[in-house]
Amino acid sequence: MTREPNAVDFWRGFALITIFIDHIPGLFYASFTLANVSISDAADLFVFLAGWSLRLMAEGRGEPRPIRDVMLRLFGRALELYAAQVLITMLAIALLAVSATELDNPLLLQWHNAAAVFTDPVPTHIGLAVLSHQLGYFDILPLYVVLMLMAPLFAALDRAAPALLLPLSLGLYVIVLAFRLTLPTWPVAGTWFFNPLAWQAIFVLGFTLAKPASGLGAFARRNMGWLRLAGLPIVVAGAIVHIFDLWPDPTRVPNPKLFFIADKTFMTPMRLIQFLALVAVFSFAWPYIRRAAAAPWVSRPVSALIDLLAMLGRNSLYVFCVGSLLSLAAQVVRLYYRGSFAGDTAVVLFGILIMAVTAWLAESRQRGRPAPSSAQRLPAR
Amino acid sequence: MTRVCAPGATAQNGEQPLPNVAAALSGRKNVRILAIGAAPGRVGPRGGTYTEQIERMLQGALKVTRIEIVNRGVSGELAANAAVRMKNEVALEEPDLVLWQVGTNDALAYVPTAEFTATVRDQVAWLKGHKVDVVLVGLQFAPQMLRDAHYVEIREALRRVAVDEKVIVVRFFEAMQILNPPDDEPAVPPAEEFERTEAGYNCLSQYVARAITLGVFAKGIRAPAVKPAK
Repeated sequence: MTREPNAVDFWRGFALITIFIDHIPGLFYASFTLANVSISDAADLFVFLAGWSLRLMAEGRGEPRPIRDVMLRLFGRALELYAAQVLITMLAIALLAVSATELDNPLLLQWHNAAAVFTDPVPTHIGLAVLSHQLGYFDILPLYVVLMLMAPLFAALDRAAPALLLPLSLGLYVIVLAFRLTLPTWPVAGTWFFNPLAWQAIFVLGFTLAKPASGLGAFARRNMGWLRLAGLPIVVAGAIVHIFDLWPDPTRVPNPKLFFIADKTFMTPMRLIQFLALVAVFSFAWPYIRRAAAAPWVSRPVSALIDLLAMLGRNSLYVFCVGSLLSLAAQVVRLYYRGSFAGDTAVVLFGILIMAVTAWLAESRQRGRPAPSSAQRLPAR
Repeated sequence: MTRVCAPGATAQNGEQPLPNVAAALSGRKNVRILAIGAAPGRVGPRGGTYTEQIERMLQGALKVTRIEIVNRGVSGELAANAAVRMKNEVALEEPDLVLWQVGTNDALAYVPTAEFTATVRDQVAWLKGHKVDVVLVGLQFAPQMLRDAHYVEIREALRRVAVDEKVIVVRFFEAMQILNPPDDEPAVPPAEEFERTEAGYNCLSQYVARAITLGVFAKGIRAPAVKPAK
């Protein structure tokens, strides 16, 4: 039995489709995603919702789970994510190899950081196993693995000293920005595209804001009207800056510069603040979307949209993995139909269909099983 | 330059000055290079990476205490995204030179040529305005892409931008074309393809090091207080 559509699953489904589209460079529809009108993008939403889900998993709807259970589940989840990353990376490499062979185009072997896998396999396979070598667009799950390994600490700290968790997380974030601390890649020299030491801040914010009874979550709920009012100009300003390319010159901002520029790797404050504003402004939307599902004329398409996105969101790991591979396959396919509007439309529709089938198949395994307890309903994803 | 790679050097666009690198050398400062673009793995027989080889060669040629190449390549990135990110990286790393491998992803993603040209042109202008030299590294090689009209167009667009903006472009594709003349064999087996890629990047590191060295000592800029290696 599957759970009813809810806001977390709905928006996670939205993020999954957006990430799928964003990961096909040059695609016509990639010009219309959140990333084109916002400083933050679907990746921020995905990580924030993972933190939010962690709260739901840790606390359930009744009695909080024993902390030992929570920690074991989180370590298990980290292992599951790691296995998923290794699997999809190997499939992606195979996809590139098959495409290069079948389409007689060796250039594909050099695509997306894959060159080192073929030309220097010994250290690169070690790098793949320890996540220090990541293919292009296959770099979100490594972030997740690290966050899930950190999550038991977050959960334990939240139980022991809830008031300390967010200050410590933000303290680490500030140190990381001030000293530009990051994780290196190897054997190809570079840095992780998603720096987990910085991105943990948005994960912890999701975790903290999901707590309705006390702390920042309670404050946000009490003052949501004001927060939306404050957030709206930030969201509008972010869109204007993005659309009209009005970014401040990063060489002219004061030091430490990461505090004043928009950077995805370090998930800098400009990006974080704009994202939180976006969440505040759009948090009103879910009840209206639900209500629209009962309205005449639009009831059927809106209900279908809710069901689709919520189903994708409920099965986010499977859908994300399949979506990542579909994005790569779509790039190969685009090479041969040369990126036409009709072809791009077919790619998007086919991709969403396959993602939906993936989610449906994942859920079909659960059908017939006894209904999970409420605490089991929202695994951290 | 090795004998194997030397014929490909004729495909480069000649001398263009690198005044900011020269100024850094004149001041006996370390030279800092920011590498943006695709990053291959080991390319040398002794295990060096592409950027490590460039570092080593420049160290020998320019006789400076330290050449530091900061690798900030993001694979699969289009020129437009790289341009936005590059501005941040320039602010953070304060390089004297940006080594920008550009064009392959845009060509494969069918980014319109005019859009690609405008992006590269604007970015080169921005770098010049911020007193950062740039060396463009052209598209990757595969003989099959000779038949791809868009790939050819993007290559040509990059060459035109380099000529108009008077910046160095290391024409990787054209050099590899010289080094790998067409033969009667229908396809190169994958194992040989990897060797060719490895050898290609080995030559590329030599072309880049040579272009930078020539740029430092080019006409029209004050010679730095170092002697080039013989």
